[in-house]
Amino acid sequence: MKRREVLLALGGAAVFADPLLAAGRALHSRLSGGAALKVLDPHQNEMVVAIAEMIIPATDTPGATAAKVNEFVDLALGEWMDDNERAKFLQGIGELDDRSRKRFAKDFTGCAPDEQTEMLQLVDAEVAALRDADKQGTHRDPTPSQGFFQMLKRLTLLGYYTSEIGDAEELHNPIIPGRYDGCVLLDQRGK
Amino acid sequence: MAKPYDAIVIGSGISGGWAAKELCELGLNTLVLEAGRPINPETDYVEHVPVWEMKFRGQGDRKARNATQPIQQQCYACDEMAYKFFVNDLENPYTTPEGKPFSWIRGRQVGGRSIMWGRQVYRWSDLDFEANGKEGVGVDWPIRYADIAPWYDHVEEFVGITGQAEGLSQLPDGKFLPPMALNCAEQVVKDGIAKHFGRERVLTIGRAAVLTQDHLGRSACHYCGPCHRGCITRSYFSSVNATLPAARATGRLTLRPYSVVHSIIYDAKTAKATGVRVIDGQTKHALEFKARIVFLNASTLESARILLNSGFGNSSGQLGKNVMDHIMGGGANGRIDAPADKIDFGNRPNGIYIPRFRNVTTKSKDFVRGYGFQGGGGRDGWGRGSEMMGFGADFKRELKKPGPWGFGFYGFGEMLPRPENFCEIDKTKVDAWGIPALRISCAYGENEQKLLADMAVTAAEMLAAAGAHDIQPFTSNNPPGLVIHEMGTARMGRDPKTSVLNGNNQVWDAKNVFVTDGACMASTACQNPSITYMALTARAAAFAVEAMKRREL
Repeated sequence: MKRREVLLALGGAAVFADPLLAAGRALHSRLSGGAALKVLDPHQNEMVVAIAEMIIPATDTPGATAAKVNEFVDLALGEWMDDNERAKFLQGIGELDDRSRKRFAKDFTGCAPDEQTEMLQLVDAEVAALRDADKQGTHRDPTPSQGFFQMLKRLTLLGYYTSEIGDAEELHNPIIPGRYDGCVLLDQRGK
Repeated sequence: MAKPYDAIVIGSGISGGWAAKELCELGLNTLVLEAGRPINPETDYVEHVPVWEMKFRGQGDRKARNATQPIQQQCYACDEMAYKFFVNDLENPYTTPEGKPFSWIRGRQVGGRSIMWGRQVYRWSDLDFEANGKEGVGVDWPIRYADIAPWYDHVEEFVGITGQAEGLSQLPDGKFLPPMALNCAEQVVKDGIAKHFGRERVLTIGRAAVLTQDHLGRSACHYCGPCHRGCITRSYFSSVNATLPAARATGRLTLRPYSVVHSIIYDAKTAKATGVRVIDGQTKHALEFKARIVFLNASTLESARILLNSGFGNSSGQLGKNVMDHIMGGGANGRIDAPADKIDFGNRPNGIYIPRFRNVTTKSKDFVRGYGFQGGGGRDGWGRGSEMMGFGADFKRELKKPGPWGFGFYGFGEMLPRPENFCEIDKTKVDAWGIPALRISCAYGENEQKLLADMAVTAAEMLAAAGAHDIQPFTSNNPPGLVIHEMGTARMGRDPKTSVLNGNNQVWDAKNVFVTDGACMASTACQNPSITYMALTARAAAFAVEAMKRREL
């Protein structure tokens, strides 16, 4: 199949069988500069990209999207997590969408930015309540959407702060500090 | 048959490297047999690889590690960059009885575990060398501090140790390079402890085999942090960085990697070893090498395995017995009121140390011996974000700033020798080279569990003395082996009926065989043991060469 044919095919993707669709998607994402995702489907990926960027947005420095956190999440899902962990994560994406539809009658990605923020604040507060319960010795298992958000927050921070953007540009961590100072003023660090 | 060597050293780790250096420098043509592959610092060291260049961002290839290194990955240093310095568990099997896990952490390459070691260096004192004899535990050490002190000096001068002299009887000072700095929180804790406990409990900066100034052709530390991945400036001590180059410089070193030792060849008529049987690691061909003396430095359990597979050295019945490790994992964490506008800079490859204070000047009712604490302070990083509420621009700005100051104590306690902790040849199992494997049966006892519980109490007391808040005492259960301070399988002693080695690390039953790794230890003390192996090795090498000159060997 030639590139032009794939692009044509993608225009009418719904009529094509799955393997071809997957091949087309892989090529499409290569053409658009991203890596082929192995686990997340386009809708799941859109959600992961959106939520990761909401957690660590571009400010005066680049954010989660620029650091390709979604690719790291996909790698973790495909090659690091076991089947159960992966299934829970994907189930949680679905449940968050369900909750979004119930609340706003739209998929999460179809919501307005303030609706998305409201949705995440809700889940974030629920997860915080679970942590408090843990500290008081009354552990409760998270629901799928809570577990998903908890995990995605962790993976976003890990994926971002261990990227070159996060580690070198945002935090200015030198690989070779050259010396050790025990106790210096914050703005004198490394000077 | 190849030409006979003057000496064969089995193993190129921290003690084998010393045997090689000393024997070569004393004039012996020396063959070092290393089971694993050669190490080339330029291509094998990975300490400066940025985390974003690693596929799993330093978290490791979990599925690959589960498949081939289920035991090795329990060690913190077996990470995504450094896992290659640890053995493949499938190629190197051993067995344990049901309900008695033992984590045997191993490195098979030139340099052995000296590449990934923790680099902490603490002398023993007579408190340690006299304890067995005074308490009637195990066997009395055949040496005292005065016997080993000049050898501590000898090895420390070459190694280069950073540390602070404290004048404590239970932790003799060494030949120190300038100490590393304490950070803000550590200074607060040090002051709090000093005020409350006087000279009984003392916080000092860790003593480490890391250079704080250029030393004998090796460069001062540049504080990149992850020493266990190698060090291209050779700033921390390892066989590859220091002793093997010194041995090579004599022109008398032959280093043979991929040489898996099967056994030592023993001549019952002369009661001496004549050479070493090797399985080539790559071709799996059997080979033999001859020498006048053999230094066995394969590590505590491997050395026992080699002797057991050799069929000599066990007239006392103690070979393989008295397996010990330290016990670790009691301590406490807390929040420290240190300056919010200050932080440390650089990745200091060292922490703090609290020398043993139990059963030093006063006697504890509950247990014998004692423990020391390692640990340190620091400010939380971005990792705290996953436990924090919030997201978005403010959240990101918050995580850019360092978090609150914290401090943790982590205890390392002495383990007593007990004959019921032992290793033996497992007749049902061989390794990838067809060599009979070990069965290890070892568990902590009552005294160790009491030390562990006490660690949590005294660590919390010291944090309280430093004005800490949110103090969280803890005790964690770690299987023996995981401290990676295993010792005792061929103990030194005064009597051939109850020990495997004499006071010069000579096998009682084969006077030209010397065992100078952790196998020789009659007790564990609570200090990190490597510097004591080094000192004993140098001492035994000098003795061996003198004895050869006198034609006794």
